Amino acid sequence: MTMSATKLHKISWCALRQLQQYRTKANFSAGSASIASRNELFTQEQRRQREAIGRIDKIEVRYLGLPEDVTLVMNNQISTPFNCAQHLSEGHCRRSALALIDGSVPWDMHRPLQESCTLQLLNFNISEPHVVNKAFWRTCSFMLGAALTRVFKAEAKLQLHSFPGPNIKSGSFVHDIVLETQSWQPTKSEMRAISAEMIKLAAQDLRIERLDVQQELAQEMFKDSKYKSEQLPSIAQQSNGRVTLYRLGDHIDISRGPMVASTHFLGKCTVGAAHKVADEGPAGAFYRIQGVALPCGFKLNHVAYGFLEERSQKLNPARLPHEPFEEHQQMQLS
Amino acid sequence: MIQSVVFQLSRLRLGSCIVPSPQVRCKGYLSRPRLRNPYWNLRKERTNTEDFVTAENQHFVNELVYDKYGTPALIKSIQAHANKFIQTYDPEDGIRPWSPHTRRCGVIARKIGQYPLWLKNGKKVRTTLLQIADNHVIKYMPHEECRPQKNLSRVHNSNQYGCLLVGAESTNPSMLTKEYCGIFRDAGVVPKKNIMRFMVSPDGALAPGTPLNISRFRVGEYVDVRGKTVDHGFQGVVKRHGYKGMPASHGVTKTHRRPGNIGGGGEKGRVWPGTKMPGHMGNRWRVLKGLRIWRTNAKYNVMWVQGSSVPGPTGGLVYIYDTILPLRKLKQAPPFPTFCGEVDTTFEDIWYEQMHKFKDETIIYKCD
Repeated sequence: MTMSATKLHKISWCALRQLQQYRTKANFSAGSASIASRNELFTQEQRRQREAIGRIDKIEVRYLGLPEDVTLVMNNQISTPFNCAQHLSEGHCRRSALALIDGSVPWDMHRPLQESCTLQLLNFNISEPHVVNKAFWRTCSFMLGAALTRVFKAEAKLQLHSFPGPNIKSGSFVHDIVLETQSWQPTKSEMRAISAEMIKLAAQDLRIERLDVQQELAQEMFKDSKYKSEQLPSIAQQSNGRVTLYRLGDHIDISRGPMVASTHFLGKCTVGAAHKVADEGPAGAFYRIQGVALPCGFKLNHVAYGFLEERSQKLNPARLPHEPFEEHQQMQLS
Repeated sequence: MIQSVVFQLSRLRLGSCIVPSPQVRCKGYLSRPRLRNPYWNLRKERTNTEDFVTAENQHFVNELVYDKYGTPALIKSIQAHANKFIQTYDPEDGIRPWSPHTRRCGVIARKIGQYPLWLKNGKKVRTTLLQIADNHVIKYMPHEECRPQKNLSRVHNSNQYGCLLVGAESTNPSMLTKEYCGIFRDAGVVPKKNIMRFMVSPDGALAPGTPLNISRFRVGEYVDVRGKTVDHGFQGVVKRHGYKGMPASHGVTKTHRRPGNIGGGGEKGRVWPGTKMPGHMGNRWRVLKGLRIWRTNAKYNVMWVQGSSVPGPTGGLVYIYDTILPLRKLKQAPPFPTFCGEVDTTFEDIWYEQMHKFKDETIIYKCD
């Protein structure tokens, strides 16, 4: 794979950093071969998509917000809202969790812009934070999957199933998993260990990258995961044969909606409960891991946070993993 | 220089202590207290960071707190929580057998004032009012748990006392640290501002959440009261040790309140250790023993004890125990481990038999 001289110095320092992040995070335990190959495919696809752009066009991005409304001239399909924030200030880069395109479309911070548009950078302190709150909740579920992969030993034969759409009013974010035991009773120290892993991910400040891939590539990437392979056809069907993948460190998962820019937006986090939902096969079972979190920078006294934790322990009423997906399609899309 | 000293003094959080007129100290600053907290010391109040919780949500959180601990109410004129789930002492458990060697739990009270009472023969008796401030038992620790493992004396310790943790004066748990609130978690009691341990015989153990009221004390019995004495600050030798000082006039030069001679000569020609000199006076824990209870009021949980020298200022915290003085100790069984009968709802004060009640007719002295 050759790269021309012009393209070489167009690869930003950030892209190199992403590659570095992936390489240093690879932990060589059992099952890591599949993770390594998945990441390799992801990176290759990223590179391929970047090269496929060809001639770079310019777009005008009208930034609306503080300190003043400006028009930025950015590269089509390369520049991201994060790059626009870099033109504004470091504070904008650090604080912006999500971007809003044309006043209505939520957009990942590290997702390339497709056309000229108006841009707003959203953080958690705005007056109408519903969109960014949902993205945060979704990111927490995604991070929970990454934390669980890191925390469980190989003997547990952990398989991530999926996570339902975010519903903040339910009181918890959720990730459904399958374990090779039907009688797991989580102890307090185990829950604390998972919460600690979430906080470690937050401390590592890992960038959350988005990639749109064809269904075939996604099947290839998730060929080791039984449940993902089953879900991919129906997911691809909803969006014209394309599947949206997100990567965080070396953890890759499938998700529809926007995520926040980085794991550092996670502040206080407690993984509260693990409910057994149903048995799976002769020896396994579905478990629903639930937690509650606050974005970074929000302080809350222990009494109020204690009530949030208590609430998060109740079984989340979102669609259960063993129930057919089609029934709840309408609910999820709403 | 003097200005800076006065500024330093005025910036001190002095609380209940009395500041003398600004004295000039040579240093120009006050020594910081050199504290070594014990290993079990917990920080009580949390740093008050602003939570940015909306008013509506704050109201909701308060409602949840009230659901858990009870609505705030003035119970016996003290701000407390009307917790209907707090268990009172179970009468089925019965009054436990009492012997003169058994030790009962004490209470935490506040000194709320002083005024005289009169006996039927006209004699005036100075009394101090102590109000039991919303006491609940937090935890009982048996002997093994509350004593350090290290055996300090070779003599076998026959007093196998357990330890009852009692709390006084409930507060909003949001202002306290999570670790401190953890002490109250298992008791189901709203976190308290003050806690104290009382050594009790194992028979005297009470269940967590039991309230302690005035009915456990009977009029005519004696108590020991422990309190922190009024902080007088740096005081001279006349006030501190009761020295006579020197005359104000008749040629006395520059020596009116000084100690005078501080030692002799001869072989041990030095100032002996323990020589009474000016220094910090007050702010010490002292126990006043053998105070008789003249009167009790069940409506406000108040007891009138003998004397006006209960340590501490008005409004200060004191700890009340059954007296250990041999001639005044309990001879008959008190409500043990605690009072569990029907509380008198008429809330009439109980007076010592020789006490003159204010509603009685005036005492008339007969002419001899």
